[in-house]
Amino acid sequence: MQLGEPGRLQSAINITPLVDVVLVLLIIFMVVAPHMRQGAGPDVDMPATATPPEQAADRARILVTIDEHGSLWIDDKPIAAEGLGDGLRAAAATEPDTKIVIKGDARLPFGEVRKTMVAIELAGFHGVGLIAEHAGTATRGG
Amino acid sequence: MQVDRGATGLGLQSEINITPLVDVVLVLLIIFMVVVPLAMKGYDVETPQTSVQAVPTPADDVQVVLSIVPTACPMLEPQVGDGIPKSCRVSLGEQEIPATDLPARVAAVMGGRPKDKRVLFLLADDRLNYEGVLRIVDLAKLKVNDMTIEIIAAN
Repeated sequence: MQLGEPGRLQSAINITPLVDVVLVLLIIFMVVAPHMRQGAGPDVDMPATATPPEQAADRARILVTIDEHGSLWIDDKPIAAEGLGDGLRAAAATEPDTKIVIKGDARLPFGEVRKTMVAIELAGFHGVGLIAEHAGTATRGG
Repeated sequence: MQVDRGATGLGLQSEINITPLVDVVLVLLIIFMVVVPLAMKGYDVETPQTSVQAVPTPADDVQVVLSIVPTACPMLEPQVGDGIPKSCRVSLGEQEIPATDLPARVAAVMGGRPKDKRVLFLLADDRLNYEGVLRIVDLAKLKVNDMTIEIIAAN
């Protein structure tokens, strides 16, 4: 019935490689997505501001999370406030030029975050990033 | 030239139709790409160096201190909604100004300075809400690029 048939020409584009690539991309995104959202660590209400600048990704990062009660995490490990400096130095042992990024709960008093910044400074890390999210995309439940 | 007409000759389609699969997968991919905010966002701040020899402040530069106190800027409670309280006033240098004037005022002070001298000292009361303080930092940085924020404490 089909006119092209007797010549055995293949008129359809071979989309198998496309499907392969797209599937692999999809899987990469699904795997990486949870880590990208807030970094590691427990979920906290991130502060929402109008124009948070993007954090440069040129240095290795360690995420310090402070939840609404003031408890601390280094990446996904809970840590006591007194152990923060030692924990950070141990975590950054292989990579001395590590940047510390603080993900503090929006409901915290500023002093709680400042104390943590001082502890980080005393541990020998200079400059921290304070994580915020864009106010329009805030995903805050109640 | 005709070799194997086989199934094709009978009009049977032996290949699986993968078009719907591709559609679904592409849509999923796009959803994931949109939902995932790719980069971490946040403000880079400094705390004053604690080592003794690291404080050579050039005397010819006026230090600009942005101070926020709860009596002038009522932000003790967790913030509701976006933005900062309308009544919020902050002190920039010696002057008390409405927080909403911050972008223009900071730009006026910092605009003419070379990049390494654009330092804003932030003195915020410890009782203030963290999110509120970050929103003020956001306002202060709005119109100035490459400004360093130094967090200092009252005592």
